[in-house]
Amino acid sequence: MKINYLILFILPLMWSCSKDDSTEYVDVPLELKVPSNFPPLVYNIVQNPPTEKGFELGKKIFYDGRLSSDGTISCGFCHIQQNAFTHHGHTVSHGVNNASGTRNSPSIQNMAFQTQFMWDGAADNLDFQPVIPLISSVEMNGNFGNIIAMMKADPNYVKLFGQAFKNKQINTENMFKALSQFMVMNISANSRFDKYRRNESGGTLTADELAGYSVFNSKCATCHATDMFTDNSFRNNGLAVNPLVNDTGRYRLTQLPQDYYKFKVPSLRNVELTAPYMHDGRFGTLDAVLNHYSNAVVNSATLDPVLNQNGALGIPLSATEKIQIIAFLKTLTDYQYITDTRFSE
Amino acid sequence: MKNILKKSIAVVAVAITLVSCSKSDDAITGTGALKVEFENGFADNALVLGSATVPTSQNEVLKISSVKYIVSNIVLTKEDGTTFTYPKEQSYFIVDEATPSSLLLNLSNVPAANYKSIKFGIGVDQAQYDLGQTGIANFWTDAQNAGMTWSWASGFKFLAFEGTFTSSNVTTDTSFMIHTGKTGTDYNYAEVSLNLPTNALVRTNITPQIHLSTDLSQIIDGTNKINLTAHNGMGMGAMIMGGADLPLISANLASMFSVEHVHNDSN
Repeated sequence: MKINYLILFILPLMWSCSKDDSTEYVDVPLELKVPSNFPPLVYNIVQNPPTEKGFELGKKIFYDGRLSSDGTISCGFCHIQQNAFTHHGHTVSHGVNNASGTRNSPSIQNMAFQTQFMWDGAADNLDFQPVIPLISSVEMNGNFGNIIAMMKADPNYVKLFGQAFKNKQINTENMFKALSQFMVMNISANSRFDKYRRNESGGTLTADELAGYSVFNSKCATCHATDMFTDNSFRNNGLAVNPLVNDTGRYRLTQLPQDYYKFKVPSLRNVELTAPYMHDGRFGTLDAVLNHYSNAVVNSATLDPVLNQNGALGIPLSATEKIQIIAFLKTLTDYQYITDTRFSE
Repeated sequence: MKNILKKSIAVVAVAITLVSCSKSDDAITGTGALKVEFENGFADNALVLGSATVPTSQNEVLKISSVKYIVSNIVLTKEDGTTFTYPKEQSYFIVDEATPSSLLLNLSNVPAANYKSIKFGIGVDQAQYDLGQTGIANFWTDAQNAGMTWSWASGFKFLAFEGTFTSSNVTTDTSFMIHTGKTGTDYNYAEVSLNLPTNALVRTNITPQIHLSTDLSQIIDGTNKINLTAHNGMGMGAMIMGGADLPLISANLASMFSVEHVHNDSN
């Protein structure tokens, strides 16, 4: 009798073990809930529906430094969860062999709701975005042939690719699809602001925060639009050009003169955690950012017209308004997201 | 005797009819293979990498060091107007002048038929970009190995055409690089349609070879005339990887190819 009970306990354990070790396809879909205050989903989920194992594979790839040419730089190296997946404290990020880029690593939440990626829009489909840091010589400098060979030789990858994809292929297509599944599920929607917008408990904003939201809506939301806080456009926001770098922004991509010094309007979610700011990380604090808009906008041929109204450069902001805006921006911090173990290394 | 003769003539006639009947009714079945060969040239001359070309209409002389392009989305049209689309995910090829084996595309599992025209793309089309990674399989690896990826833009170089040039204003060899591809504003995908002078007769035992000539001068000297000297404003070489001229260059690519001849050789 005793033995029988023991078998009953052990049997399911053996079962789950053997199941997890096999390379059989595991069809457990992940539900992607669009928060009610979000704009519509952009990512084509039908082409690549996230599954439990696809997500797990994507996470493993995201945190695997072996994808880089010297084995040290993973995606997670510059996208650190506790800093809302940015490289906190780094103006620009460094890659393999101590190479240095020219741009600040952006946060990566809510990518499935955005149409443009990278500071210059070098990718406009989430599936194609990771290609850039993966093969850039100043970031991961990866070689697809080597990466696929490494994965084929690693039993854990063989198992996960088998469980994540019906065709079990270890190839670039499935690698990027898994990464997309990880990123698509990377949603930050539980800040105090979100709860306020959805009338949920814990969604109380103070008088200062509400005043800040009001100022923000009248003076910032033209570009930082919707609850995603970006209109996915490219704009020259009047930063003085750093002559040592002369980053021409979207011009590098399009080589059209009207795109000189234009950069993507970034989402402001979790902005409290993502210093330093701007495409090159030139501003260390949110105060410095607001001081730029109120006092330091530089005119040029491609300066965004909203920053040059009737010859007045920038955005008029009083000291009180700045304090209120910053109080409001801090309500966008999503502590649940930055500690969510589903996304942790 | 006469009757016998008549009868035998009738028998023979019937037999002949039967034979010819069965011959013409002999449906073309099964699948075969088809080869498409690319021969790169410049204007009327064969391409010799590193040697001076004839001058373009802009009076510029090129020394081409490298030319590569992605051939994709191959569609074959049969005599009766119906088409066979080669499976898209198997339809990405990189033609590279420096790799002789890449100049010959081997298509397999092509339905046996008489094909009268061929259509293909240069580059990766918008429909593929919209699909995301679906169908890409391992093409990233092939493209990166061939130097047909960008590190600063996500996507593929559709055409990479490089070398040096001289003109009346640029008297020393000065580099030029023309890379077409999706730029954020344009897809720059080119579609090529060519009628075959002789039908390509794909059979289980016949592998036709379509021999194409590529006139590289058309890249900058086709319907749209591109002046490399004008792109050398800073004296750093003519680097065209975006800007207003790139869609014009991409449009030129559609008329860069012609059919030299078709072989219908038995296997």
